Amino acid sequence: MDARVAQVAVWRRRTRATRYTAYFAVAVAVAWSIEAIVIADTDWSRIFTGTLLQTLRGFVDLDFSILPALVQPTIETVLMATLATLAGLVLAIPVAWLGASNITPLGSFSYGIGRTLMTLSRSVHEIVWALIFVSAVGLGALAGVLAMAVRSVGFISKTIAEAIEDVDPKPIEAMRAVGGTKFQILLFGILPQITPVFIGNMIFEWDINIRRSTIMGLVGAGGLGLALFRQMAMSNYGGIATVVLVVLALIILAEIFSYYARRAVI
Amino acid sequence: MKPESAIQTGFAEVKHSQADGQSGAPHAGTALEVKDLRAGYAGREILKGISFSVAADDFFAIIGPSGAGKSTLIRCVNRLVEPTSGAVIINGRDILQVSQSELRGVRRNIGMIFQEFNLIERLSVIDNVLTGRLGYTGTVRSLFRMYTKDDIKHALMLLDRVGLSEHVDKRADRLSGGQRQRVGIARALIQNPKLLLVDEPTSSLDPKISREVMGLIKEIGLEFGIPILCNIHDVELACEFCTRVIGLQDGMKKFEGSPRELDKAALQDIYSMEVL
Repeated sequence: MDARVAQVAVWRRRTRATRYTAYFAVAVAVAWSIEAIVIADTDWSRIFTGTLLQTLRGFVDLDFSILPALVQPTIETVLMATLATLAGLVLAIPVAWLGASNITPLGSFSYGIGRTLMTLSRSVHEIVWALIFVSAVGLGALAGVLAMAVRSVGFISKTIAEAIEDVDPKPIEAMRAVGGTKFQILLFGILPQITPVFIGNMIFEWDINIRRSTIMGLVGAGGLGLALFRQMAMSNYGGIATVVLVVLALIILAEIFSYYARRAVI
Repeated sequence: MKPESAIQTGFAEVKHSQADGQSGAPHAGTALEVKDLRAGYAGREILKGISFSVAADDFFAIIGPSGAGKSTLIRCVNRLVEPTSGAVIINGRDILQVSQSELRGVRRNIGMIFQEFNLIERLSVIDNVLTGRLGYTGTVRSLFRMYTKDDIKHALMLLDRVGLSEHVDKRADRLSGGQRQRVGIARALIQNPKLLLVDEPTSSLDPKISREVMGLIKEIGLEFGIPILCNIHDVELACEFCTRVIGLQDGMKKFEGSPRELDKAALQDIYSMEVL
């Protein structure tokens, strides 16, 4: 009995020691982070000499003179998003075909390829895709379109593949019975059933691509982001705020449009 | 695509389009012969050696309790289910021996009507009927739904025949059950089938509509000279409309004869599964 009491005491002492060691380690890590990131890496002179307020005032002082120059980038942004969504859709169809377990042509081999492509597209950030395409095809809107198209494939193909896995098998049986080819079975047995999901998600992805295309310009891939980048380079704070407002207005409009478009389709 | 003119001139066109498909030899005696057919899934045998033959003018019924293998049997005839052994002879040819590519040609000569209609819900009524022509339509044409004018006339005529001329452009999911089954019937007929497979046509319908649909199928069989093989669990309807009946029980044939021979003793024999 005494031996067991002693054993428990030792065990408790040991766990208490572990616990305090852990607390201490976390505290050190937090302190170190604050020192390295906030204290050492901040330009304190700016914050306490009044430039902070001055700069903030600069943002509030909107610069509407640049508005005419924003018309063309705004249109470009919308066109980039639209084109990227359509291109993404074209790329997503074969990926969805590979990645839908019930129709994938070569069993788990092609299913694996399809699912890997979906994950690859989604796990790389659009800015990283944009950097890749800027170095591949040069500065300009094309790089942005390609980056967003590739980034869109993941979501579109994943939702299409899941819709395909959920289809009602009865029309498919009927299309087999009338003597349809494999392609005709896909076309009539599956496609009409997934059309609502397909179009709904495409509009949703277009909405997201509008957001993405407003920042593509930061890495030189066209659209409103480029205008933002120029205003930043010129330290024209009022101009920056104006571009941000235009982006906000565009995104709200896109959201309203996509809401009504999806309601009309489904 | 004006329905009125198509209906008036439809019949001559239909005669023309009936010439495609297989050679139009007149039905000689036996339309379908099934010999010692066996089928099963995952080691369980569902059909245990079924044999029967359907004459050219038959409305042939398969009755039996649920799980007897009626649905599997009818799907073996167009190989939606692959049998494990036996023979299914249509036009002197064992269709179990044909290759996958020839199977398409076999299937387009066999119309099928389904229990739950199996329509494409989001397509219009006429587009659903026209899918019956897919076996005759090339891939590119079907991609753009470019059916021939003759096919469209034929579809309109058939929709008129099954009483749906008012609903040609409606989406299939907006029709009632009876109307949907009529679309299914028109889709099967536009194939110009040499044999009609009918799988529980009335299970999703109420008794009055069931009788109408059975009547329509029987009329159409006589009118177009198509032999019919029909699964049906409703014995009363089978006796009223069909010319010949087999009874299945647990994958075996328990009865074969005319509806008049199907007496109480025979029925008890077929439906005695529960006693086992």
